[in-house]
Amino acid sequence: MGLAQISSKIGNVRENAKRHAEVMKKAGEDKADLTCFPELSLPGYSLKDLAYEVVDDCQVALTSLARRTEGQRVMCGYVKQDALGLVQNSAAVMGDGKVLGTTSKFFLPTYGLFEELRYFVPGDPKTDLRVFESAKCRFGVIICEDAWHPEPIQALARLGAEIVFCLASSPARGISRAEPDGELPIESQWLSLLKAHALMSNVFIAFVNRVGPEDDEFFWGGSTVVSPGGETLARAKRDEADWVTVDIDLDEVKRARRFSSFRDYRAEFHEVLRDL
Amino acid sequence: MTPELEEIVPAELRLNTARVSAFLARRLALYVNEYAGRTKAIVGLSGGVDSAVVAYLSAKALGPENTHLYLLPSSSTPPEDMEDAKAVVERLRIPEGNCREVSIEKHTMDLASSLGKRQDRLTVANIKARVRMILLHGFASVLGGLVIGTGDKSEITIGYFTKFGDGGADLFPIGDLYKSQVRQIAAEVDLPERVYRKMPSPALWEGQSAESELGIDYPTLDRILYRRFDLWWDEKSIAADLEVPLATVERIVQQVKRTQHKRYPPEVFKLSLRSHGSDWRYPREWG
Repeated sequence: MGLAQISSKIGNVRENAKRHAEVMKKAGEDKADLTCFPELSLPGYSLKDLAYEVVDDCQVALTSLARRTEGQRVMCGYVKQDALGLVQNSAAVMGDGKVLGTTSKFFLPTYGLFEELRYFVPGDPKTDLRVFESAKCRFGVIICEDAWHPEPIQALARLGAEIVFCLASSPARGISRAEPDGELPIESQWLSLLKAHALMSNVFIAFVNRVGPEDDEFFWGGSTVVSPGGETLARAKRDEADWVTVDIDLDEVKRARRFSSFRDYRAEFHEVLRDL
Repeated sequence: MTPELEEIVPAELRLNTARVSAFLARRLALYVNEYAGRTKAIVGLSGGVDSAVVAYLSAKALGPENTHLYLLPSSSTPPEDMEDAKAVVERLRIPEGNCREVSIEKHTMDLASSLGKRQDRLTVANIKARVRMILLHGFASVLGGLVIGTGDKSEITIGYFTKFGDGGADLFPIGDLYKSQVRQIAAEVDLPERVYRKMPSPALWEGQSAESELGIDYPTLDRILYRRFDLWWDEKSIAADLEVPLATVERIVQQVKRTQHKRYPPEVFKLSLRSHGSDWRYPREWG
């Protein structure tokens, strides 16, 4: 698989689509079966009111990029118009020359700098939890904040995903106190989170983060692949655009699941949570 | 932390200078070159620590050859401030042609006299700050640069700046660094010692001292602001922790609230279906 850690220009879908096409060409040369871009990679992340204005450009770009695909699978982030006037923070899965399917973010953050619920309609677990297939594997897709909750990855794993791609736009904070080459607090938090999910759900997790500036934010990159055993298999550069490929052994999923209680689920917990 | 650094920056605010300055220089270069499509940094150099660090970051980001420094003294500028400013120019190896000294005394007096008899010290002080910003934007326009502001987080947070004066820059690269942290950077990147040891002053009138005007020293101010706004502490806990009177903490917090208008664009009263302000939520980088 290939992690396409890119910087996008906000609102400039055409320019960003060119960048996607360049990386997809490279992915083809490197024979990547699965290539993943970050959250909202086509329109940029901090769209605010532009969220409503990039829908058509996103659709044109998606159609054009999808035409370039063959047997490989490519995931990217875009703004999807769900019903007239309603938009979603979505991911498209492309392959065989077309858009094979989409999914939308379930948990839309509204704390600190985030204001997603103001603009986007959340994804519906009943329709947006989807397992896609390539010639070699089954995989699911989630978006950023979805990884800060147990259910999306757990559900995709139970539905049969062997790999979960997490498209992210995680901004840097706390640079002023960081050690010279040390991780930012958000980097170690993400790594812990990815490892915990991988261990609990016995899946490979590929976290693909944005990099670079966008208004006053700066995305830190550091895209990562974690194995079902919680091992870090690949890590992209911090603060720089990067393209990282990694070979994975799907038998690891099987082996991990034979020594795990990942399939156990107690609905009573959600009944309690629902009533709180 | 060395004993020397401990005097400059409270332990809880200590920075990693190498990482922070590299990050800020990179952001500065991206903003000036890629976002604004310009090449040059225009900085007013006062001889104080903020402008020295901004000049350092500009030179690091864009190169000394693209860093233009302006010394803009008035009659209230202490001669040693200009000496310190020149020491910074030398330390940063700014080419001779990129540094100019322009007195703002005549411009200030001409403008102040237009106010007639109703001029006071603060009004004239604000005129000085605005005259400087007019000149800096003029130089930026002529040279194709951006005016890189020198406001730090302490000053911005308590509103200790002149609206459309020093507050009128294109960008505030050190706006998320408290004064103590700016001093730490100055000390660790080897800027002249006098620059980061001196008592901060806008020098808008003779003998003006920021700390006596604010009634508090900067390290204490920074520790209060950090606890109240970075860590969301309540005022009583801050007073107890820092062993300062509660009234002092309350006064500082009140000053932050009272000066909120200075950190916002001017208000627009809404009439149409969509107006500038809360309805107008487009990103800064747009198209």
